[in-house]
Amino acid sequence: MIQIDNVSKSFRSNVALQDLSLQVNKGEILGLLGANGAGKTTTINLLLGFVTPDKGSLRINDLDVLNSINEVRQHVGYIPENVNLYGYLSGLENLDYFCRLAGMKYSRAELSGFLDTSGLAKQAHDQRVSGYSKGMRQKVGIAIAYAKKATVFLLDEPASGLDPLASNELSLILRKLADEGAAILMASHDIFRVREVCDRIGILRNGQLIQELSGSEVTANELEQLYLKFMKS
Amino acid sequence: MWQLISNEWKYYLRSRLLFWVSVGFAAVLVLTAILGQYQSQTQAYKYANATDHLRGQWESIESMNPHSAAHYGTYLFKPGGMLNGLDDGITTVTGNVLRVEGHVQNEIVYSEASQVKSVSRFGKLRSALLLQYILPLLLIFLAFVSMSNEKESGRLRLLLIQGAKPSSIIFAKALSAWLYGLALLLLVFGAYFLLNIASVNAITVTRSLFFFTSYALYYFVICGLTVYLSARWQNATLALTSMLAIWILWTIFLPSMLISYAEAAYPLPSRDQFKTAMKEDRSKGIDGHNPSDARNKELQDKVLAEYGVDSLSQLPINFDGLRMQADEEYGNIVWDKHFGNIRGIITEQKRLTQMAGLLNPFLSLRNASMGFAGSDNVHHHDFLLQAENYRRVFIKALNDKHAFGGSKTGDWGWKADNAFFKSVPKFEFQSKSTGTVLNAYAVDLVLLLLWAGLTLVLMLTSTRNMKTI
Repeated sequence: MIQIDNVSKSFRSNVALQDLSLQVNKGEILGLLGANGAGKTTTINLLLGFVTPDKGSLRINDLDVLNSINEVRQHVGYIPENVNLYGYLSGLENLDYFCRLAGMKYSRAELSGFLDTSGLAKQAHDQRVSGYSKGMRQKVGIAIAYAKKATVFLLDEPASGLDPLASNELSLILRKLADEGAAILMASHDIFRVREVCDRIGILRNGQLIQELSGSEVTANELEQLYLKFMKS
Repeated sequence: MWQLISNEWKYYLRSRLLFWVSVGFAAVLVLTAILGQYQSQTQAYKYANATDHLRGQWESIESMNPHSAAHYGTYLFKPGGMLNGLDDGITTVTGNVLRVEGHVQNEIVYSEASQVKSVSRFGKLRSALLLQYILPLLLIFLAFVSMSNEKESGRLRLLLIQGAKPSSIIFAKALSAWLYGLALLLLVFGAYFLLNIASVNAITVTRSLFFFTSYALYYFVICGLTVYLSARWQNATLALTSMLAIWILWTIFLPSMLISYAEAAYPLPSRDQFKTAMKEDRSKGIDGHNPSDARNKELQDKVLAEYGVDSLSQLPINFDGLRMQADEEYGNIVWDKHFGNIRGIITEQKRLTQMAGLLNPFLSLRNASMGFAGSDNVHHHDFLLQAENYRRVFIKALNDKHAFGGSKTGDWGWKADNAFFKSVPKFEFQSKSTGTVLNAYAVDLVLLLLWAGLTLVLMLTSTRNMKTI
């Protein structure tokens, strides 16, 4: 579970977040929409412990991010916009390496199973990642988080640059993870994808959560109109 | 940590460019070690042959006046240690052959540098050149992207989220590059030891260990600093530029500046000044070939009184031999004074350049490398000293034979027999003990250790300041 309470963060004179509060429960996907600089990535960086808040508290699975970052990270899977893996390793080797860093040793069959679950085609498992498309690398990224048995997933523009098929596959995987009990926070520009996959949607503007609504409450068109209205106002 | 190091090595082995660069460089290193070994072995063989030949000539003298034999003299050749083939230090410029004769202490001559053709004057390709200059550069090129690449690609965040500690990542990167350097160093040592298997003994192994340790410490400093800068700066270009600037400063500018400073602080007399001063002091002694010299008269009166006779013709011995030995002994005092002075100045210069290792670990490496290879000034002066001591024993034996062998004063036609010439001792060079060498270069090892410690501290601090975004 993700819990953010009254968090503010400024970078020198730039206010990145202002009294942000939100919660993502187990089995839930929250989509954060917002323009560039709205505070989406800062929110994720705060949750990952790469940035410290000026005020407020952040908790993941009831652990305080500031005080227990190492324990917090054991629960978190992170998928950035570009999952940059080691090009000289295969997908399977990358997964094995990142799992071992997390203290987990899996058999080849188990690793292959994780890659299957994330949707990576069998024949790609042993190919070097340098030849992978962005979507394939995203899938390995998901497999890494999945194999780590992460219960909280933080995704920063995960669908950016993916072709429609890969993007759709990603949505299905996220839905599956949420159904298995994961709490997912996804920052994105992609209104349609967010609308399709997220249970709840938050709109960020200038570091403030200005609107929060249920994914089932709105159609994609209504969400786009709403989003544009907020962005222009 | 092991996972991180193993992953770095997978990159080293799987990157085609790096793989072929490594193979090429390793081949050059091995080839250079082979050439170095061949050259030192050939030289040692030639010197051994020449020594045997000269001794053979000496021992085949059937009969000769001892003083004529003193002018005939002999030649001594500076022996090179086993590790000379890796680092020939100053031996290319100091000369290797010393003519030993009566009345005069000759200068060592026939340096390699004075004999090579003009096209070769850039110096020989020795392993030390590659190990001291090129291999560190390769390590810099290998490590400068190590952290910046991880940061720029965003992989650093993934590594941290997976539980890798920043300190482990930085140390693993530095250790991986360091192990790469050690692997190449070991390759050179392995090839060189195989080629010299017959000369390997406890002394050469001990010296080699210190030699190896000096390079290992220096490579650690280079790898650690490069990774530190790679972690410290936001991009790889800045890390590479800073590290190359340090490399240029350490290997090109600072050595010249610091050595020039040491020379200015403790100036050596010029060759002319040295020779003039020696000549002047020598002229104040007994002239071994001038019976009318006043100091000769004094010695003559003393000897006549000792033997209780009135004239040289009544002496049962040959006074000419005593006079020439007295001349030698005075010359020895003069040589000790001037050579001692030179040694003193060089010792001070060495002390200063060793302390300069506080500013520049490259100087410490160079000192230690030459020292443990036995191609430094300490070993050179030790040879000169042993050669001069031998010259004194050699000439004294001839003068004593001239004086007490059975001839009378003025009998320059008297000849010693073959048995005497065979009895004159050979020159037996005693290598400096490892303890003495270690004592002379402990400062350099300690300073390299200090630099390695400082690098460790820097790496630790960089984990605190390291930015992941």
